[in-house]
Amino acid sequence: MNWWRTLSRQETTNSRVVAVLALTILTLLVTIFLPPVADSELAGGAAIAIVILGLSWLTGWSGQISLGNSGFMAVGAYAAGIWAHHHASTPLIFTLVLALVAGGLSGLVIAIPSTRLRGPYLAGMTLAFSAAVTPLAQNFTSVTGGEGGIFLNSLVTPKWFEHLFHGANASINANAQWTADLAVVVAGVMFFFMANLFHSRAGRSMRLVRDNDVAAELMGVHLARTRTMAFVVSAAFAGVGGALYSLLEASVRPETFPLTLSITLLTLMVLGGIGTLSGAVIGGIIFSFSANLVAHVNSLTGVNPTSNLGANMQGIIFGVLLIVTMIFAPRGIVSLSSPLRRLWRARRPLSVTQEVQ
Amino acid sequence: MTAFLSSSFMHNIFGGLATGVIYSLVALSLVIIWQSTHVLNFAQGAMAMLATYIGMTEIDRGIGYWWCVIISVVVGMALGGLTERVLIRPLYGKPEINPIVVMVGFLGVLEALAAAIWTSTTRNITEPFSQIYYQDHGHLVFLSAFIVFQILLAIGIMLLVAALFRFTKLGLQLRASALAPEVSRLLGIRVGRMLTIGWMLSAGVGAVAAVIVASGNFGLFPTDMDGIFVAGFIAAAVGGLESPIGAVAGGLLIGLAEQFILAYWSPNVAPLGGIIILVLALMIRPQGLFSKSVSRRV
Amino acid sequence: MIKVDDLSVNYGAVRALREVSFDAPTGQITAVLGANGAGKTTLLRTISGLVKPRNGDVHLDETNLIGMATENIARLGVGHVPEGRGVIEELTVEENLRLGALSAKVNLAEGLSEQYERFPVLGERRRRHCSTLSGGERQMLAMARALIARPRVLLLDEPSLGLAPQVTAQLMRTIRELCENEDLTVLLVEQNAKSALRIAHRAVVLHLGSVVANGDAQSVAADDDLRRYYLGVVVS
Repeated sequence: MNWWRTLSRQETTNSRVVAVLALTILTLLVTIFLPPVADSELAGGAAIAIVILGLSWLTGWSGQISLGNSGFMAVGAYAAGIWAHHHASTPLIFTLVLALVAGGLSGLVIAIPSTRLRGPYLAGMTLAFSAAVTPLAQNFTSVTGGEGGIFLNSLVTPKWFEHLFHGANASINANAQWTADLAVVVAGVMFFFMANLFHSRAGRSMRLVRDNDVAAELMGVHLARTRTMAFVVSAAFAGVGGALYSLLEASVRPETFPLTLSITLLTLMVLGGIGTLSGAVIGGIIFSFSANLVAHVNSLTGVNPTSNLGANMQGIIFGVLLIVTMIFAPRGIVSLSSPLRRLWRARRPLSVTQEVQ
Repeated sequence: MTAFLSSSFMHNIFGGLATGVIYSLVALSLVIIWQSTHVLNFAQGAMAMLATYIGMTEIDRGIGYWWCVIISVVVGMALGGLTERVLIRPLYGKPEINPIVVMVGFLGVLEALAAAIWTSTTRNITEPFSQIYYQDHGHLVFLSAFIVFQILLAIGIMLLVAALFRFTKLGLQLRASALAPEVSRLLGIRVGRMLTIGWMLSAGVGAVAAVIVASGNFGLFPTDMDGIFVAGFIAAAVGGLESPIGAVAGGLLIGLAEQFILAYWSPNVAPLGGIIILVLALMIRPQGLFSKSVSRRV
Repeated sequence: MIKVDDLSVNYGAVRALREVSFDAPTGQITAVLGANGAGKTTLLRTISGLVKPRNGDVHLDETNLIGMATENIARLGVGHVPEGRGVIEELTVEENLRLGALSAKVNLAEGLSEQYERFPVLGERRRRHCSTLSGGERQMLAMARALIARPRVLLLDEPSLGLAPQVTAQLMRTIRELCENEDLTVLLVEQNAKSALRIAHRAVVLHLGSVVANGDAQSVAADDDLRRYYLGVVVS
């Protein structure tokens, strides 16, 4: 019950809640005017932003690194997919809660042996996990559909929504907008939870563990429990994001969660800035536009998009971006504009040490 | 005896050893880098893959198998040295997450690059030894001339590395630089150069592993080394990341475990074998089964 | 000869050395004395190139050492026995000695037998891992490892730390003999001012990073005020 209170009670500064709310509403308004393709790209970006936020919390706030969040995404997606496949009429919210729980549980399973591990060990362990998840899922063909995966019904646009924005016709447009709106609302809720979590007691002890685990332990922070908790939350966010992403795609397939997805997630998190709400938003936006971005680079450089080089352009660009950002701007692209950063810093609450005294 | 050599148990032993030595080589290469620079090189598999791909382009021009091996190893070493100088050196003293992230990015670049240049289909080298299984009085023994070669080559490389570290001046300097960089510098050892040489050696060993994979039945594709890297990492971690002997033993253990899971359960579950071994090992001794140091490195 | 000239070192906002100047003549032992935090270790680390100074020069004869890499300073003949001895525990006694000889152009076999003659106990333990050595043995090994490279300068950082009084006395005698026989320039950093002054030719006293006294060892030893305020020696 404690946890629920932490998440739901408004412990954070008002401005942050207002920012999340405003951004959500603004994005909802934007979806009205976007073409259907952009709407569905936006929806995917919102789902990925949730995953990035979970990863960002783990890395930025507890100082642990995970290459396994694509695996947690897969767990959430399969849990939601298997359920939705058999119970198509279940409300979305229930399916997503199921994915949240499934993701969190898988995080717990990984966290228990991993919390004693540091840095590279942890990264390797989680990589091993995400490498094992999809083959494992394929093993139980009768449940998971094996290599083919599970196909789901697309999300149905309610009649009132169609009428509200599109009259009686144009159901494709309405459906794209509806799914985008759903994704944005889910993302908004998850961001609200995380904003609270950042500034909760748990968030503060998390940072203390990250900065100096010995001191944290002396102050009575339970190290293993705190680290495990960070993992579970991160995995739960990945579960929700993965499930949402798959529901939007109306299918759960093994090839949605390759190892390179973990690299993509890491890149997006690092680009946006580790450990911030805005970083996850930026990461999500970059993901939404990544296909366009790659197409743009291809056309700029005159590379045929169907050639080998064109097909692998995204991997090359993302990898190079990740390396360059980490070496030259490890705080993310936000940090490059220092006036913005100063504004951001001024808004920050007291530092950890001051609060804990 | 006949029945024993061709039994399914021995089949699995041979198969497990054949994959195990590849894991051992990768694990060993990871330990070499870890000892000297405390970086876990996530791009190790991809670097080895690229080196071998470059070696293979030469074999297309009609050079022999051994030249291809040599070119792959040399290219691997050059790539390793270059990586240390360009990507890793700016990150010494930074949080341990930074080099991890950079090497993960490098992994992505290398794999995408290889797929862009050579397509993502499988390529292989014509092996110098027969892949046909031996027969023992009409019963198949799951051991071919190539598998014997593969195991012997891996063992040979491991012994070579061990001898280098144990008996040569260079090896002594490499060990000293890894154990006590500041003291080594006070003794006039060029520690920076040693770190580069460590990376070169490691990448060379990794390239041998990739060459073996490329020569095998199934060839090599750009992301092929991912799974092998994971297994190699687990092997190295079981040994504590600091013990070369532990890494080799861990590699063999995981090779065998996967082979038996694959044979008696399902190939899809095989990757779990390594994870289970790692979890068990960490529960018994969190600092690794073969690690001497009890204190945690911060 | 080591000539330290106007040397200042900052660690962030902390000034570890302030305009330190003194000479350490060839063939003599110069004791560097002072309380904890006076800047003694920083001084040696700056000479060896491990710490970059904010200002000032260090000359070894005609060569300015400032800006040179540590390994190149070592190759010039500056042997540094760091605080805590810096013996590499995972290696054997002989491997440690071989490391010392590697970068210098000296005959390894000759050097080894010379050091084993000087420190017989090291010869007895040549194949043992250094983790099994006692504190005194480690100190001998660290000295031998520096000496095998035939250095012109020896920087000793708290060699008596953690040693029993008799062992310290023995060690100090060895240092004095070395200095006289090999024509070494020795910089001896010590908290144990009494035993250091007994063998030193000259003494520099540091306090909070500044030189408060610089002269021959006898006069420093005779100065009651210096001893009382900076060296923590009870004046009888």
